[in-house]
Amino acid sequence: MALAVRTSKAGFAKWRAWAPLAVLAGLCILVSLFNSNFLTVSNSLRLLNTAAIPLVLSMGATFIILMGSIDLSVEGVIAVTAVTVSLLVANDLTGYDYGLWAVPVAIIAGGLLGLLNGVLHVRLKTPSFMTTLGVGFAGVGIATAMLGGQTVRISDQTFRALSLGRVGGVPMAIWIALAAVIVAYVIQERTRIGRWVYAIGTDETTARQAGIPIERTRILIFSLAGLFYGLGGVLSAAQFGQGHALISQGRLFTTVTAVVVGGTSLSGGVGSVLNSVVGVLIVVVLANGMVLMGVEPYIQQGVQGLLIIVAVALSLDRSRLDVVK
Amino acid sequence: MEHIRTMLPPAVLVGMVLIVGLYDPTFFSLSNFETVISDTMSLFLMATGLTLVIMMGGIDLSVQAVASMASCILAVYLPELGFLAIPLAVLGGTIAGFLSGFVSIALRIPSFIATLAAGGLVTSAAYWFSDTRSVDIAEDLTGRYLNWSVGTTAGISNDIWVGAVFLLILGVLLGATPFGRYVRAVGAQERAVIASGINVNRVKIATFMLSGTMAAVAGVMMAARLGSGSPTLANEFLLPAIAAVIVGGTAITGGVGSIWRTLVGALIIQVVRIGMTFMGVSVFIQQIIFGFILVAAVAVTMDRKKILVIK
Amino acid sequence: MLPALEMKGISKSFPGVKALDGVSFSAATGEVVGLIGENGAGKSTLLKILNGVYKPDAGSIAIDGRNVEIRSARDAFNKGIAMVFQEQSVISSLTIAENIFLGREEEFLRFGLISKARMNEAAAQELEKVRLKIHPGTLAADLTFSDRQMVEIAKALSLDSRIKRDVTILLDEPTSVLEKKEVAMLFDIVRELKQRASIVFISHRLDEVLEICDRIYIMRDGRVVHETPAANADVHTLHQQMVGRQLQHEYYREEKQAQPSPTIALKVDKLSKAGVFHDVSFDLHEGEVLGIAGVIGSGREALARCLAGYEKVDGGTLHMGGDVVRLATAHDAVGRGIGFVPSERKVEGLITPFTVAENMTLACLSKFTSGGIISGAKESTIAKDWIAKLGIKTPSTKTMVVSLSGGNQQKVVLAKWRIAGVKILILDHPTRGIDVGAKEDVYSLVREMTAQGLAVILLGDTLDEVIGLSSRILVMKDGVVNASFNAPAGGKPAQLEIIQHMM
Repeated sequence: MALAVRTSKAGFAKWRAWAPLAVLAGLCILVSLFNSNFLTVSNSLRLLNTAAIPLVLSMGATFIILMGSIDLSVEGVIAVTAVTVSLLVANDLTGYDYGLWAVPVAIIAGGLLGLLNGVLHVRLKTPSFMTTLGVGFAGVGIATAMLGGQTVRISDQTFRALSLGRVGGVPMAIWIALAAVIVAYVIQERTRIGRWVYAIGTDETTARQAGIPIERTRILIFSLAGLFYGLGGVLSAAQFGQGHALISQGRLFTTVTAVVVGGTSLSGGVGSVLNSVVGVLIVVVLANGMVLMGVEPYIQQGVQGLLIIVAVALSLDRSRLDVVK
Repeated sequence: MEHIRTMLPPAVLVGMVLIVGLYDPTFFSLSNFETVISDTMSLFLMATGLTLVIMMGGIDLSVQAVASMASCILAVYLPELGFLAIPLAVLGGTIAGFLSGFVSIALRIPSFIATLAAGGLVTSAAYWFSDTRSVDIAEDLTGRYLNWSVGTTAGISNDIWVGAVFLLILGVLLGATPFGRYVRAVGAQERAVIASGINVNRVKIATFMLSGTMAAVAGVMMAARLGSGSPTLANEFLLPAIAAVIVGGTAITGGVGSIWRTLVGALIIQVVRIGMTFMGVSVFIQQIIFGFILVAAVAVTMDRKKILVIK
Repeated sequence: MLPALEMKGISKSFPGVKALDGVSFSAATGEVVGLIGENGAGKSTLLKILNGVYKPDAGSIAIDGRNVEIRSARDAFNKGIAMVFQEQSVISSLTIAENIFLGREEEFLRFGLISKARMNEAAAQELEKVRLKIHPGTLAADLTFSDRQMVEIAKALSLDSRIKRDVTILLDEPTSVLEKKEVAMLFDIVRELKQRASIVFISHRLDEVLEICDRIYIMRDGRVVHETPAANADVHTLHQQMVGRQLQHEYYREEKQAQPSPTIALKVDKLSKAGVFHDVSFDLHEGEVLGIAGVIGSGREALARCLAGYEKVDGGTLHMGGDVVRLATAHDAVGRGIGFVPSERKVEGLITPFTVAENMTLACLSKFTSGGIISGAKESTIAKDWIAKLGIKTPSTKTMVVSLSGGNQQKVVLAKWRIAGVKILILDHPTRGIDVGAKEDVYSLVREMTAQGLAVILLGDTLDEVIGLSSRILVMKDGVVNASFNAPAGGKPAQLEIIQHMM
C-alpha cells in the first residue's frame, strides 16, 4: 500500500517539474497575442539582455536555496562590488584606471562578503536569513561609505563593453550570463560540492553520517554565491555606466522570486540552476508583457510578491508536516 | 543565560548613556532625554508588534513596507476624511498583517518568505495609494488631526504618551492574557501547544495582524512628524526595528522576551546612533555597524538547543 | 579464527534507565547472527553504539581482534561496519549511484569533476550484487520503497570491494517493507554474502530469523539472556526466552484495578489509515484501562495518534455518546475530552521553559481568565491543589518545569489533563525514562483516574506493564488487531500468550 502512494507522488512530482516551463510558454504565447513584435529576434535579444543580470544573480541564490538556506544579502553584495569596480576603472572620482583588471577584484570582493556570510552563519550558528540580512545591510552601508553618498561615473568604454558590446550580434551581457549558467550547471552536476548541496538540502543528518563536511560546504556555497553576485555587480556597473549604493535596489526580490518561481523548493533539495533560468525568464517576460500592456511599473513588485506566493503554493510538499515558522 | 538576557540590555543602555554623556555633557539634561525618548517612539512602536512575532518564533520582514503604506493612506485621505483617515491607515496595516499570517499558515511557508512576499504587495499598494509620489500633509491638518502625536501634554511630547499607552496595552496583552501566553508557548514549543488542543493557527494570524497594526501606527506617527507620507518613508527602519527587539534580549528562536525589553532595545539603538554621530561616525558607517550589531545580538541571545539543524 | 566483530561487557545508561547492562556479542565471517527481543530490550541502543551514535559507558568493541573506538557513522563505515537502517537514509534528490557513493566521490574525480559514467559503472556492479536491474542514474525519488531498501543494502555492500577486511553488515528490520518474493531474494543475497562477511540480522519476524540465521541472541531488559544456535530453536522457545520474570501484582496496584463500567466512552469502528493500520474496531468503556500491545510497525502508535487528533485517518468512524465524531486536529480531540500523554514528553507534552503552573493550565486557560486577564491567584491555587494531589515534588508553582525530574514532569502532564477535565486519556509510553519510584506513582494515578470513571488507552513501555495495568488488552500486528484478552485483577494473561500474537 505504501508502494502505491509513493508512485503516484513521483508522478505528480514529474508533472510539477515541467510546470514552470509550461507557464513560461503560456506567458510567451499570451504576450505575443497582445503584441506581434514580442517574438521577433530584436525583442527576444532585448528580453535576454534584461534577463542577464538576474540570471547571474539567481545562479548564486539557487545553490543557497537548494541547501535549504536563504541569502538576503544580494543587494548589499551587488552594491559593494558595483562601487568597487566603478572606482577601479577610469572614472570621475578616483585616479585609478585598471581597466578589466578591476573585474576579478570586484568579483573576489563579492566572494569575500559571501565568505563572511558563510562564516558568521556557520560559526556563530545564526540562521542564514538573519546573518545575511545583517551582512546585506552592512554591504549597502559599505558601498555608501566608499562613495560618501555620491555617485561615480564610469568613463572606461572597454569596461562598459562587458555589457554593451556585441559579439555575433548578441550583447556581451547575454554571453556572460550564458557562461555563468554553464559554470553553475557544471558545478551543480559534476562537482562533489554541487552534489553535496542536494544531500544537505534534502537530509542534513544523513549527509553528515555519510561524512560530508557540512560546515565547510555551507561556507563554500555562500562564498560561491557571493562570487556570482559580484559578477552581477560588475555587469550592473557596466550596464548603467555608474556605481552607487542604490544600483541594486529591487534585485533581492527579483532573484528570490525567480528562483522560487522556477520550481526550486524553499525547503531545500529540490530544483536546479536550470529551473532558475526558466524562473528568471518568467519574471522578465511577465514584466515586459506588463509594460507592453501599459501596466504601471510599480505594480510589478506586487505581482512578484503574488508570484512567490503562487509558486510556493504550487510546489507545496504536504508530506513535510513539520512545524513551519 | 536567562539572567544575561534580562540584565544585560538595561546595563548596556546605562553604559551607553554614560559614555555618550562623557563625550558631550549637554547630553545629560531632562529635556535632552525627553527628546531622545520621543525620537525613539516610532522605532519602538514598529518593534512592538515585531516583538510578538519574534517571540512566537517567526519574523516579519514587511513592517517597513506596512509603515510606509500607512503613511501614504494617512497623507492621501486626511484632507477628505479627517480623523477617520487614521483608523483607515491602521486598518491597512491590520489587513497586511492578516495577509502575511494567512499566507504563512495556509501555504505552510516560513514567515520570512511570506512576509517578504506580502511586503512586495504592500509596497505596490503604497505606490498605488500615493500615486508614486511623496504626499505632503498640510500644516493645518496636522494641527487639527495629528496633535495627539506631535503636540505635548503636561510638558511631555505626545509621542511618549502614545508609546507609554501601547507599552501598557501590549505589556498586559503579552503578560497577562491567554493570547500572550499562547504566543510565548508557540515560540517555546509549538508542538506541545498544538497537543494541548490550542488553535495555533489562530494565534499566529492574530500575531501577524498585531504586527501589521503596530507597524501602521508607527507609520502614522512618522508621517505626522515628517509632515508627509511616501511609499519609501520607513525603508531604513526594518533592520533597526529587528535589532531593537533582539538587542533588547528577545531571542530569535522565540519563547522569551517582552515589550519592556524592546523599549530598552530601541533606546539602545537610538543612543548608539546619537553617540556615533557625536563621535563623528558617518551615517553610512553606522549602517555597517548596525548590520553587525544585529548578527552579534542574534548570536548572543538565541537558544541553540532548540534547533537541531540551523539553515 | 577471531570473530570479525566482538563486543564485551557493553553497558549504557540513560537518565532513569539502564539501556544496556554488560552485553557481550560477537559475529564471525561466514555467519548470520540474529538479534531479537521485545521493544525496549536494548537492540536499538546496541546498534547505535555500533554506529557511533552513542558511546558505551563500559565495555569494549573489537574488530578482527583489535580494540577500536567508533566515533561516528562514517567512522564505523570506514572500519567496515555498514548499517542498513529501518528508517531509510536514501537521499531522494540524488541518483542511485550518487547515493551509493555519497561522501566517497574521490575515486571518480577527474580534474575535480565527477565522472558520472564511471560512477554509474561502479554502481551498476554493486546493484548487480542485490540483483536490482535499474539504471544507476535513476533518481532515488523515482524508486519504490523496496528498491530503496535494496539501494541501502547495495551501499553497504559497496564497502566489500573497497576495504581490506571482511565487512560486517547490520540489517535492522530489513524485511518490514518487503514483499514475500523480495524477502526470499534478500535471503539469497544474504546467504551468498556471508561467504565473505559477517551479518547481523535484527527482526521481529521470528520465522524469518529462524530461516536465515545461524546463531541467535535473545535480549531482555538490556541484557543478553540467551544465545542459541538457530538449529536448536523454534518459535515457541524463542517466545518463552523473550518474556521475563513473573508479573509482580502489587507493583501495578492490581488490587485497585477498577471494574469497568458498561458505559461506552468511545466506540471505534473499522478505523483505517492507508499503509499503517486497517479495520481496527473496539469499544472503550468508562473506568477501563485498555492496553494495546504490539511491536514497532504494528500500527499501534499511529492508532493512538489518530485517536488524539494528531494524525488523520482514511476510513472508519468514531462514536462518542451516540454522536459520530471527527478528530481532525488535537483541538477537536481536546474539545471532545480526549487528552494525550505523548512519549516525547519534552516535545509534545510540556513547554519546557514554562513554569509548573503555566504548564498545568495550558489546555484550559479560559477557566482561569476573567475579563480577558489570567488570574494568577486562581491559577496558583489549582496548581497547588494538584501538586498536593499527585505528590509532585517541586519547590513552588513557579518553578520551571524543565528543572523537575522526569517522573514529576510526567505528573505535570497528567495534571494538565485532569485540570482540563478530560474523559479519555491516551498514555503513550507514560513511564519511559522515569525512575522506578515515579513509575509506581504513575501506576497509582492511573488506578485513581479509572476509579473516577476515566477511560484510559495505554501503550505500555513493556509488555509487563501492559498486562499489569490493563483490564483488557488488544494485540496488534502488521496493522490489524490480532487478538484480544481480558485481563481482570487476579486473572491476567501470561506474557507468552500475548507475545505469540505480536511476532
